[in-house]
Amino acid sequence: MTLTAQEIRKHVMDYLEATECSIIEASPLHVTVKLSPRADRMLTDRPYYWGFVERTGVDPETLSFTFVFEPEKYDNLAAAAQAAPPSRPLRPGNPASAAGLPAGAGAAGMEAAADPGGTTAGGPPTAPPGVSADPQDSILARFFGVVPALPRIGPGMIRREDIIYGSKRLRQIWAAARDEGKCLQLFEDPGIRQRMTLFSAAYEPWLAVCYKVEMSCDLKREELHFIGVSLTTGRIIPDFEAKLASRELTPRLPENIHIQPYELTVADGADRLEGYLTSKLALMDYDWAEEARERLRLELGIVDIYYEELLKEQDEEKRLAIEEQYNRRRKETAWQYEPQIAVSAVTYGLFHLRST
Amino acid sequence: MTQLFRNPLPEEAGTPAPLLPVPLSFERNWLSDLESRLDKGGPWGDWRLSRLAVEGEKSGLVTSFDELQCMKHLSGLSPLPHQLDTAHKVLFQMSGRAILADEVGLGKTIEAGLVLKEYLVRGLVSRVLILVPASLVLQWVRELNTKFGISAVAQKKSYSWSNDIVVASMDTAKRDPHKEMLLNNEYDMLIIDEAHKLKNKKSTNYQFVQQLRKKYCLLLTATPVQNDLGELFNLITLLKPGQLGNQGDFATNFVVDKRQPKNEVQLRGELSKVMIRNRRGEGPVTFTKRKVRNIPLTLSPEEKVLYDGVTAFVKDQYQEAGGNLSSMLSLVTLQREVCSSRDAVFITLVNLIKKLPADSPKRERMMELLQAIRTVKTNTKAEKTMELIREMNEKVIVFTEYRATQEYLLQYFRDHGLQCVTYSGGMNRGKKDWMMDLFRGRAQVMIATEAGGEGINLQFCHHMINFDLPWNPMRVEQRIGRVHRLGQENDVVIYNLSTEGTIEEHILHLLHEKINMFEMVIGGLDVILERFEKKESLEKSLYKIMLEARSDEELRSGLDHIGDSLSELTHGMRDEQEAEA
Repeated sequence: MTLTAQEIRKHVMDYLEATECSIIEASPLHVTVKLSPRADRMLTDRPYYWGFVERTGVDPETLSFTFVFEPEKYDNLAAAAQAAPPSRPLRPGNPASAAGLPAGAGAAGMEAAADPGGTTAGGPPTAPPGVSADPQDSILARFFGVVPALPRIGPGMIRREDIIYGSKRLRQIWAAARDEGKCLQLFEDPGIRQRMTLFSAAYEPWLAVCYKVEMSCDLKREELHFIGVSLTTGRIIPDFEAKLASRELTPRLPENIHIQPYELTVADGADRLEGYLTSKLALMDYDWAEEARERLRLELGIVDIYYEELLKEQDEEKRLAIEEQYNRRRKETAWQYEPQIAVSAVTYGLFHLRST
Repeated sequence: MTQLFRNPLPEEAGTPAPLLPVPLSFERNWLSDLESRLDKGGPWGDWRLSRLAVEGEKSGLVTSFDELQCMKHLSGLSPLPHQLDTAHKVLFQMSGRAILADEVGLGKTIEAGLVLKEYLVRGLVSRVLILVPASLVLQWVRELNTKFGISAVAQKKSYSWSNDIVVASMDTAKRDPHKEMLLNNEYDMLIIDEAHKLKNKKSTNYQFVQQLRKKYCLLLTATPVQNDLGELFNLITLLKPGQLGNQGDFATNFVVDKRQPKNEVQLRGELSKVMIRNRRGEGPVTFTKRKVRNIPLTLSPEEKVLYDGVTAFVKDQYQEAGGNLSSMLSLVTLQREVCSSRDAVFITLVNLIKKLPADSPKRERMMELLQAIRTVKTNTKAEKTMELIREMNEKVIVFTEYRATQEYLLQYFRDHGLQCVTYSGGMNRGKKDWMMDLFRGRAQVMIATEAGGEGINLQFCHHMINFDLPWNPMRVEQRIGRVHRLGQENDVVIYNLSTEGTIEEHILHLLHEKINMFEMVIGGLDVILERFEKKESLEKSLYKIMLEARSDEELRSGLDHIGDSLSELTHGMRDEQEAEA
């Protein structure tokens, strides 16, 4: 499954909004944003800067980015707008201030401005540094590999980044989201009417976990299972996500409700979830594992034949060395092919939902 | 909170959890995290972020065992069909242990990158060790980062090893204390570039790689040592011991003598289980044409005098030294330089004079040569080059063997208003990159002394001028390979400058007419040379002939002899390839 540019945009926007970043400008093709301190810590990889901020107590200066979701369209639009005489003044150094500034030139200009003579010093005075059209291909990027978001702080310094499926930034955003959102305690929002009614509403506590199941041998397949178990009744709901879909959730305990007492501890709940998942996994087709074991058998056979002769070595010392090699190779082979299933939790938490 | 009613909890279902046919493990850190937050009353995660994380997981989920996932994670990279095929085969037929043996220029690095990316995406690989020759370390790091979005780092200090994906030079890795550290680790994937260096079972390289603990393994080589079956056996043993049976089986089943396989079909069948070799001119990969233009030039009278003077001097010295080749290298250089530029000769001469004792009789003779240099006012080749560049009016790379010539040309072109940059082996990586950028951008001409080693890829340029020629055909091929490679969209025009009546003319004749190397797109030059050079390197043979020939006649016949055996090998190669196809 891959994501369309619009889906990616939604993911990024969700993250930026959830972390309270200030959006400077947004279009379907891009968003220009000044990160919140919280998002900056997670995304810009500058622990020293944040350490400095913490120790000295200065006001943090967060970085700004222009994230572009459809680079081609965005560039075309920018080029078209530039071809036409600028009808409005452009704010210099801010390529996103108007789609009117060609993104390439803008980024390159910044690159040059931010590079204080570093490149001009080393080379012969033949020609001024060539400016490559593709910001990804700048000299710095090629020399250092990836150029991290350098703390080149200054007003108007906005780095452009293309975000497409598979880009590091997107992976980073998901990882950051997981980091801050994995462990939950939520309550269903009862609505305003509940506050007026006489009786408090009964809420059922659920333990829910989004499990990631990884079936691996020399190849791999994955599944997600979002399962919930009621800590009152022990009932299990296989597609807990669907149950949550129709409800408004809030982190705060609503008024005039009560939570049914736990009959299960959280650990009991976890046992039940795991038991349920195991029985579900038992129904799966295990041909893949059989095939992997068959491959393993074949490979081990080959290894055995190869070493059989060698292990007849007379010299004790040499034989031991060969034996060690043989065992190592067998272990490696098993490591490569042996089928196994590993289950881990992506997100997890307690959900208090109105009893029905 | 009042308790209104209470449902008794039903007893847990009596059936014990079923046993799975595969070991199953639950990771349970989450539970302690949840419990500790319950104790402390938080902090609690954000519901929107939580949903986002799940969405992210969903989109990256590997839903199928056997389908390439990596392509949707890569943008700006469009692998060629044979590269995708290769990646597919390595993953799903070879289970991640393979020799990638494509011919030069077909993109082995891309294939390795695809395989690595796929395993990373699938989460089957996290710790990776990539061992390459020192000169390629940064290039690998750069390619993995920019083309594949893989955060590889170059090994610089010993703590670099702790990174997940490390690129290091084989020579560093196999030495203590690094060796010890690496052997104590396990690697999900090991990639070795230029793996033909692992052909010898007894070498430290070989034993080191054998001891490394690795799950998946890729060996990259353009020359899978097909000449020596024993070496091939060793390489495969490193990857999958036993694939070709044990040493004895292999010898009886497949080997007639060292060079000659038997049961070839069967051997090829076995090889295809561990080795993938794509060839140029095969399949859908098409290279553009190479067009060769030889430009004969006549030396000006002054240049001719200088050439003859140097030639005579060199020969006399050789006679005096009693035909000892090793001490003659600088003189050979002199002979070659005189075909390039007077500047090059000048510097070498001065250096030679400096080394001589003050009263050496040679001194006078060399001073005469210096005088001859002084009379040379023009450079016929440079003028012609200038003319060519003006004519084509496009980007062009000029190759010379000598730094002095490079300097001279730089000055000369600049005086004539051409934008040019230089490129040489001594520059550090950053400067090289910068020069390439300048060339891509505003400079029209690049004057390069180095073509080999780490790839300068100049697909955007399709003219090259050989200001002078290396005597080693591989180096010529490397030069051409800079512009004539995958991604080149135009036919490549190669201009060879040669001055009439000089050694250069003969060399060009040899390379062009006999090996036909300028137009050879099929590849296989390496194999031809390897076979030819069983006795002595081609360059050395050429030196000998040049120094020993007493007349032009003798020179010609000597070179013809070499030429004939080379062209024989070339034809032999071609026949073999056809037979294979």
